[in-house]
Amino acid sequence: MRRRRFVTALAATPAANALLGQQPGRTDEASKLTTISPDAAALAVPRFFSAAQLGALKNLCQILLPSMNGNPGAAEAGAAEFLDFLIGVSPLERQTLYRKGLDTLEADAKRKYSKPFAELSAAEADPLLKPHLAQWTFDPPKDPMKHFLTAIRADVRTATMNSREWASAASSGSRRRRGGGGVGLYWHPVDPTRAL
Amino acid sequence: MAKKIYDVLIVGSGHSGGMAAHTLTEKGVSCLMLNAGPVADFEKDRTTKAAHELPYRGFGKPGEHPHIFQANEFNANTWVNEKEAPYSHDKDAPYNWVRVRLLGGRSLFWARQSFRLSDYEFKAADHDGFGDNWPIGLADLDPFYSRVEAQFKVVGRKEGWKQFPDGNFVSGPAGASADSECVKRLTAAAQKMGYGVSRMRAAMGDGGLASSVNLCLPGAVETGKLDIVPNAVVREIKIDRNTGKAAGVCFVERHSRREMEAYAKVVVLAAGTLESTRLLLNSGICNSSGALGRYLFDQQYGATVVAAMPEAMNGKARPGMIGGGVFIPRFQNLDQSRKLNFLRGYAMPMGTGSSPDAKYFPAYGAELQKLLDTYAGACIQGGIYGEVLPRKENHVRIHKTGRDAWGIPTLHIEARYSENERLMAQHAADTMEEMYKSAGFELLVKSTAVNPPGYSIHELGTARMGDNPKTSVLNRWNQSHDIKNIFVVDGASFVTGGWQNPTMTILALSMRASEYLAEQLKKGEL
Ligand SMILES: Cc1cc2nc3c(=O)[nH]c(=O)nc-3n(C[C@H](O)[C@H](O)[C@H](O)COP(=O)(O)OP(=O)(O)OC[C@H]3O[C@@H](n4cnc5c(N)ncnc54)[C@H](O)[C@@H]3O)c2cc1C
Repeated sequence: MRRRRFVTALAATPAANALLGQQPGRTDEASKLTTISPDAAALAVPRFFSAAQLGALKNLCQILLPSMNGNPGAAEAGAAEFLDFLIGVSPLERQTLYRKGLDTLEADAKRKYSKPFAELSAAEADPLLKPHLAQWTFDPPKDPMKHFLTAIRADVRTATMNSREWASAASSGSRRRRGGGGVGLYWHPVDPTRAL
Repeated sequence: MAKKIYDVLIVGSGHSGGMAAHTLTEKGVSCLMLNAGPVADFEKDRTTKAAHELPYRGFGKPGEHPHIFQANEFNANTWVNEKEAPYSHDKDAPYNWVRVRLLGGRSLFWARQSFRLSDYEFKAADHDGFGDNWPIGLADLDPFYSRVEAQFKVVGRKEGWKQFPDGNFVSGPAGASADSECVKRLTAAAQKMGYGVSRMRAAMGDGGLASSVNLCLPGAVETGKLDIVPNAVVREIKIDRNTGKAAGVCFVERHSRREMEAYAKVVVLAAGTLESTRLLLNSGICNSSGALGRYLFDQQYGATVVAAMPEAMNGKARPGMIGGGVFIPRFQNLDQSRKLNFLRGYAMPMGTGSSPDAKYFPAYGAELQKLLDTYAGACIQGGIYGEVLPRKENHVRIHKTGRDAWGIPTLHIEARYSENERLMAQHAADTMEEMYKSAGFELLVKSTAVNPPGYSIHELGTARMGDNPKTSVLNRWNQSHDIKNIFVVDGASFVTGGWQNPTMTILALSMRASEYLAEQLKKGEL
């Protein structure tokens, strides 16, 4: 406690940096060091969906957006793992929509093919998915499965096209450019209100 | 410190506050501007980033901005945080209140589409019998529109149509090249149906920024007559009990929550329509008419119709075939002998040469990709800017218990669209469909849904002007009927809004009110 007060007092003096051994200039060099994102070095650990739900989600993502025209698909972009994180931190309504949607697909797959949705081919999945496709309107469809499929079709595209993998494919000269990998002007928090 | 009394205290720094400061300081009036939020530094506060570098891959933090459809992870930090500054609405009546509290307010981010109101709006009640007229007309505002258009460098094409008044344009529409084949066909189809086709009108500003912080405030500061205090969250207007007049305002310093008071001979509210009304309601003043908080309206958006030009599909577009935008102003209900099943009217902005959004196709996988490839660059997309009727029952009131982060009572917003808005949206979608088909285009999407109130970010009314103090809050000079040294210069004063994006009218009204205020001050009338 006493030490903290001492350090605070020191920081208020003009010579504080020198006394604390922080040399001006070194911070500039540190900010020039190249760093990489966690996704470039490590894998995300899914923790929201059950194993069966996650299996269904992975296969569904891949069916909705497979790798095409030299661009990575949902699987290469880790879309399902990312959605596990995103939905896990989303409002309850969104979580329920996803969980129920995946459970329904799982139950339908078992009823029709006696195997989990995760093991279905795209051709096998089609009859389970197509009846739930809906024409676009501003408000989401009232039917929960149509709502789920509308939501996940959009989410998989964003998760894939905004991935590191998509961006590096788009910038590689040998591959066909398809936009996405969205680069934009990011606004930092501007002098945010301090919690008192 | 000695008590400092300014001539005018301005609450808010957006288009309306910026214009008030600009006009008043030019006339030698000393001003203090209080703004709830901080000053943004365009260099330091923005960085170019890829979406995958952001924590939520561009989705944004889930649930962070539940009412702001324009929010994304790149711009999330620029909008008002609803946890800090909440508001409420009934569950079945969502309202999208989109606010910015940075110095400059929403003028930092607006899309710059710039129109004048016409006498079809100013004198709407004379025309169709619904609601009330403004106490002023286009002739009153015309000289102010002209000066604002010059200051904001508005470009557009003159048409000579009474319902689409021409402006003091600095040049023709930006980037106006020869009409593409697609635009020519669309124009011919529209004309066959009795619609005229124009081009978008827009404020070019400086380098594309047409904000209060680059076009209004620098000149005002240069006069030496303007002090700006950021991070000052105004709580209420302070009334002098002896005179019954405003003496200044009470505000809370945003970071420290220190309570403070500032003084002036006149208070100008420019906090962005509903925030100005909230301040008056929280102060318990300017409501002898009972109209304060009432007649809330905006413009309706939502109806969308997308088509494709067959000749441009499958990558076959050649130069000059497709591209460019058109703007079709209101052509409905101008002639009262040919009434439609709804009142008032709408405009249709249209773009050509775009690619379709994947969400438009009920498909996925390779099938979806094939559709996207087929229609890439071949689309025509149209929408609606529709008038919303000002109705007394659509209103805001102070929530009984709700408080923001500074302990200031919050707003409850109650606004619902009526059958008139729904019928108008249907008519717009049917009209666009007919136009596209007549031009030989293939219809892809037709949606008649009306987006929630507030979505257009053009909230208007709640302290409307009028000559009758029993039915209006402000007089024709944006001045309170009840307390003569209070002015409201933002969109709260609107009586009707038409289909037109409102900012040019807000700026012109603020300039006009400020000149009147300066004269009255000089005469010692305030
Ligand atoms: C993305 C976007 C696109 C738009 N496009 C168009 C367009 O194309 N054409 C058009 O006409 N309009 C458009 N608009 C709307 C336009 O921006 C507004 O009509 C206009 O900027 C309103 O100006 P204002 O000064 O009334 O309010 P604001 O810009 O909202 O400014 C209000 C200011 O008041 C301050 N304030 C609020 N409460 C308090 C308080 N209690 N104490 C102190 N200060 C306070 C805020 O900090 C803020 O700076 C758009 C808006 C957005 C966000």
